[in-house]
Amino acid sequence: MERMFFAQLVANSVIAGALYTLITLGFNLIYGATKFTNMAHGAVAAMGAYGVFFATREGWGLPLSIVAGVLVAGIVGVITDRLVFSPLRKKKARASVFVIASLGIFALLQSILSITFGAQFWPLLPPGTGRVFDIAGASVTEVQLWILGSAVAASGILFILLKFTIFGKVIRALSDDEEVAKMLGINTDRMIGVIFFLGSMLAGLAGILSGFDTGVQPTMGLFLLLEGAVSSIVGGIGSLVGGILGAFLLGFVENFGIWFIASQWKGAIAFGLLTIFLIFRPRGIMGKD
Amino acid sequence: MNSSSRIVLGIVIIVAVIAGVFAFSQSPSTSNNVPATKNEPIKLGFIGPLTGDGAALGQNARAATEIAVAEVNAAGGIKGRPLEVIYEDGKCTGKEASNAANKLINADNVPVILGGLCSGETNSFAAAAEQAKRVVLSFCSSAPSITQAGDYIFRDYPSDLFQGSFAAKYVYETLGKKKVGIVYVKSDWGSGIKQVFSEEFSKLGGKIVAEEGYDQAARDLRTQLTKIKAAKPDLVYFLGYTEGSTVGLKQAAELKLGVPILGADGWDDPKLFANAGAAAEGVMYTVVSAPLSDAFKAKMKEKTGSEEVLACSPGAYDGVKILAQILASVGTDSTAIKDALYQVNYVGGVSAARVAFDKNGDPVEANYVVKIVKDGKATEVK
Repeated sequence: MERMFFAQLVANSVIAGALYTLITLGFNLIYGATKFTNMAHGAVAAMGAYGVFFATREGWGLPLSIVAGVLVAGIVGVITDRLVFSPLRKKKARASVFVIASLGIFALLQSILSITFGAQFWPLLPPGTGRVFDIAGASVTEVQLWILGSAVAASGILFILLKFTIFGKVIRALSDDEEVAKMLGINTDRMIGVIFFLGSMLAGLAGILSGFDTGVQPTMGLFLLLEGAVSSIVGGIGSLVGGILGAFLLGFVENFGIWFIASQWKGAIAFGLLTIFLIFRPRGIMGKD
Repeated sequence: MNSSSRIVLGIVIIVAVIAGVFAFSQSPSTSNNVPATKNEPIKLGFIGPLTGDGAALGQNARAATEIAVAEVNAAGGIKGRPLEVIYEDGKCTGKEASNAANKLINADNVPVILGGLCSGETNSFAAAAEQAKRVVLSFCSSAPSITQAGDYIFRDYPSDLFQGSFAAKYVYETLGKKKVGIVYVKSDWGSGIKQVFSEEFSKLGGKIVAEEGYDQAARDLRTQLTKIKAAKPDLVYFLGYTEGSTVGLKQAAELKLGVPILGADGWDDPKLFANAGAAAEGVMYTVVSAPLSDAFKAKMKEKTGSEEVLACSPGAYDGVKILAQILASVGTDSTAIKDALYQVNYVGGVSAARVAFDKNGDPVEANYVVKIVKDGKATEVK
C-alpha cells in the first residue's frame, strides 16, 4: 500500500475514532448512571448541530453559536430525563422500557427537527471555510483537527473531573451502585439529571463538529448513535476508557477494511465488528462481567 | 378495563382492521372515463422532487409546467374544459414517489402522470401505473431500465444509453483522458449511467481504474474518494445528485484529488454550485441540449426570476403541450391517450426539434452538450 494512501487511511481512522469518542463519552456516562442504552443520544447530538444552524442563520457569530448549540443539546438531554426517564425510574421500570422510551424520544426529536427546519441537507459552514493541512501525506481539514482536539480535551477534562473532584466521586459512586449511593445521602435523581446534562452536551458537541465536517440533516443522529453504540458495546459498555478504545478500534477497522472490500460496505463493517464481539467477547474490551 | 370490555374492544379493532384491509385492496379502476361535464377541469398528476435532492430541478420543472398549463387554458383549455395539474413531491426517492403515484391514481383518478423526475421515482411507480393502465410521461428520467418499463410508460427525455456513450466519447476523444475513476450514487440513475459509461469507455480503449458507489443518503464520501485517488485516474466521473455531490465535491477538494471532474445531468442545479463554492470551480457535466425558444426563456425568467432554465423543464413544458393536444383530440381515456402518444410527431417544441416516441416510448432524438462551472455559474463549453 502506498505511503500516501496509508497516511490518509490513518488520518481518516483517527478522525473517525475521535468523533465516535465524543459520542461514547456521553453515552457511557449516561449508561453508567442509569444502566440503560439511551437511544435518544443521537437525536440530542442532532439538536446541538441544529442549534448552531439556527444561531448562525440568525447572525449570532460562530463562537456564540457553538456555545448555544452545546447548551441546547444539554438542556434537551435534561428535559428528556426530567420528563421521561426520571418518572420511569421512580416507577422502577425495567431496562427495556427505558430503551423503548428513548427510541420514542429519538423519533420525536428527529421529527421536530424535520418539521422546523425541513428535511434538506445543509452544510453548516460556508464553502471554503478552513484550511486543509498536509500531514505526512494525508489531507486533513481544520474542522477535523478540531474534532481530534475536542475529543482529547473532552476525555482529559472528564477524567480529571471523575478522578480528582468530589463531583466526580459522586458520579462514580452512583454508577457503581445507585442504592448504596442513595443510602449515603446522595440525591441520585438530581445527580442523574446533571449527568444527562453533561453527557448530552458532549453529544451536542459531537453533532456540531459532525455538522461542520459535512453538514446537517434531521436524520444525522442515527449515524452518530449507531457508531457510538457500537463503540461503547465493543469497548465494554459503561467503561469510559473502553468506549474510547472501542471508538478508535471501530474507526480503524472501518477505514482500513475498505482497502479490501468496496467502500459502500463501510457501514456493514461496523456491524460485523459488533457481531464478532457479541459472539466472542460480549462484555467488550474493558467490560466487567 | 375488565375482561368483557376488553373482548368488545378487541372485536371492534379486528373488524376495523378487516374493513380497512378490504377497502385498500380494491384494485384501482382501470377505466377512468368520467362522463365529461361541461366545465369540470381535466386533471393530470405531476411527480417530482419539490424538496430534498434535485428540488431546484423539480421546482423549475413545476414552473415550466405551470406556464404550459396557463397557456393551454388561455387558449381555451381542452375543448372548453380547464386543464389542472396536481403536484406531488417525490423527494427523488422511490418510497415517496410510489406513495404519490398511488394517491394520484387511486384518489385523484388521473389518466396521466407527468413525472417522475428522478429515475428512482419513475421506476418505483411504473409497474403500478402500467397495471392500472395510466399513462406515465417522464420529463427527466434517464435510466436505461425505463425503456422496458411498459407500454404505458413514455419519456420525452433520452435514455442514459446516450448520455453514458456521449460522456465516454467526450472523455476519451475530446479530453484525451484514458484512465477514469468513477464515483457514483447507487440509484437507478447513477448505476445506469455508470454501467453504460464503463462499457463504452472500455470499448474505446480506456481503462476504468476504480469504481466506488455510495448510498444516496450518504454525506461522507471521503472513503470512496480516498480509494479513487489511490488508483491514480486522469479524470474522475462523478455521478451524483445535489446533496451528495455538494459534500462529495468539497471532500474531493479537501483530499486534493487534483484531476478534472466530469458529472452528469443531475448536476444542472445552481444550488449545487452555490453550496459547493470553490470546490465546484472548473467541474464539467453533460446535460441534454434543448433548443429553448426565446419566448420560453422569457416566460421562465418572468416566473422564476432567473435566466437559467434547468435540465428537466423543457421536457415538462413540451409534455404538457403534447398531452393537451392529445386530450383535445381523443379525450381522457388513458388507453386512447397511450395509443395517440405513439403517433405523436411534435415539432417546434423547446426540448427537441422533434418530439416523437419509438416503440418503447423513448424519444427518438438525443443531443447533449458539456457545461463547465465558472464562478458558480454553468456555461456551455463550445
